[in-house]
Amino acid sequence: MFEVTQKPIELILARNLMSSLSTPAFLVDQGGMLIFYNEAAGTLLGKRFEEIGTVGPAEWGSIFGPFDESGNPVPYDELPLVISVRKGRPAHSVMTIRSADGATHRIEASAFPILTAHGSRGAIAVFWPVDGNGVPVEGNGAGA
Amino acid sequence: MRVKLWGTRGSVPSPGPETIRYGGNTSCVQVTLSDGSMLALDAGTGIRSLGLALQQEATRLHILLTHLHLDHIQGLVFFAPAFRPQTEIVIWGPASPEASLRDRIARYISAPLSPVEVRELPCDVSFRHCPESEWEIGPARIRAASVTHRGPTLGYRVTDSGNSLTYIPDHEPGLGTEIDELDEDWISGFELARDTSLLIHDGQYADQEYPDHVGWGHSAISHSIAFANRVGAERTLLFHHDPLHSDDFLDALDREARDRWVALGHDPNTIEVAAERSEYDLPVGAPAATA
Repeated sequence: MFEVTQKPIELILARNLMSSLSTPAFLVDQGGMLIFYNEAAGTLLGKRFEEIGTVGPAEWGSIFGPFDESGNPVPYDELPLVISVRKGRPAHSVMTIRSADGATHRIEASAFPILTAHGSRGAIAVFWPVDGNGVPVEGNGAGA
Repeated sequence: MRVKLWGTRGSVPSPGPETIRYGGNTSCVQVTLSDGSMLALDAGTGIRSLGLALQQEATRLHILLTHLHLDHIQGLVFFAPAFRPQTEIVIWGPASPEASLRDRIARYISAPLSPVEVRELPCDVSFRHCPESEWEIGPARIRAASVTHRGPTLGYRVTDSGNSLTYIPDHEPGLGTEIDELDEDWISGFELARDTSLLIHDGQYADQEYPDHVGWGHSAISHSIAFANRVGAERTLLFHHDPLHSDDFLDALDREARDRWVALGHDPNTIEVAAERSEYDLPVGAPAATA
């Protein structure tokens, strides 16, 4: 029988698009595995995707924190990406993430599911840095 | 398995003295399986000639559509077996959240675009969405997978008696990325074409033409060659010729493709620009016949 290891075309196209964006963007598959983030996200986190590679749902949240406004860890189930991939709907939140050098960044995260005629393929999230007043940083946020 | 090309042109039929050798009919490939049963890959205008060539007694046919752009379905209403009541035709194609395959094809086979409606076809015709898993038609295993093009588009792999044909006529695997730099599982169409005996692949544009057509859903020949090289195709046919490409232009493209293929360490006789009515036997050897 044919062994299928290839990514679905919707994820391939999503990665191609994300690779061209200067907005930090993350891609998870339908099982919640983090399978890609772009250069802008790597800049924000202080680590390129190639340094981390594909990681499971329990691990990728811890890569960048995240924390709520009170500094408490955001429960895994409340992360926008997790909500999108599990419930098949968009999700949004404001949170603080921590990059590899220990610096923290306030961001808005928006996630949406990738749904097809054959069901869910995964989800995409974009991170948008906000300033100290909670206002989105103008431009694309890359390098924030 | 025997493969015959009835239409190799892309986009729109391009008959005329300047396209007489490579052909002007749009996409259609006949596949004769080891038990004599037959598949047609796509139903561009080439399927009209295929229909005329089929014996009257052919009663069950499978047509596998990659997608529903007009150059891949235009010949359906001119396919003679569809007008014989003893014929059973099964049309396979991509699913869409918008409408069923039958309803989407009926937009073409209906007034004012067509003099007949689907329900008026004398044959027994049915429509099936391609499953995500492999399925069987006669002695062949068929696999369909979505590939990079505009709109829901499939490529096919037909495996029979240990030989495989991979058909991806409309494909832009190099869109926004470098094929040579990607891991295999991130290359559109890779699993369909891995180690295939015969790859029929989009080769619509010369490299110098591609920058003006990025995102149109087709390959520059450097993409086609990089793809064929990565998947390890035994033999490759560059297909879906641009309607503006004359025979002389395609001759030059053929030479360029072979030169590049040699530079990658391959036999120049294992890649060529596809010509209408050419035939190939699998396992791969010399063309069985060329009209």
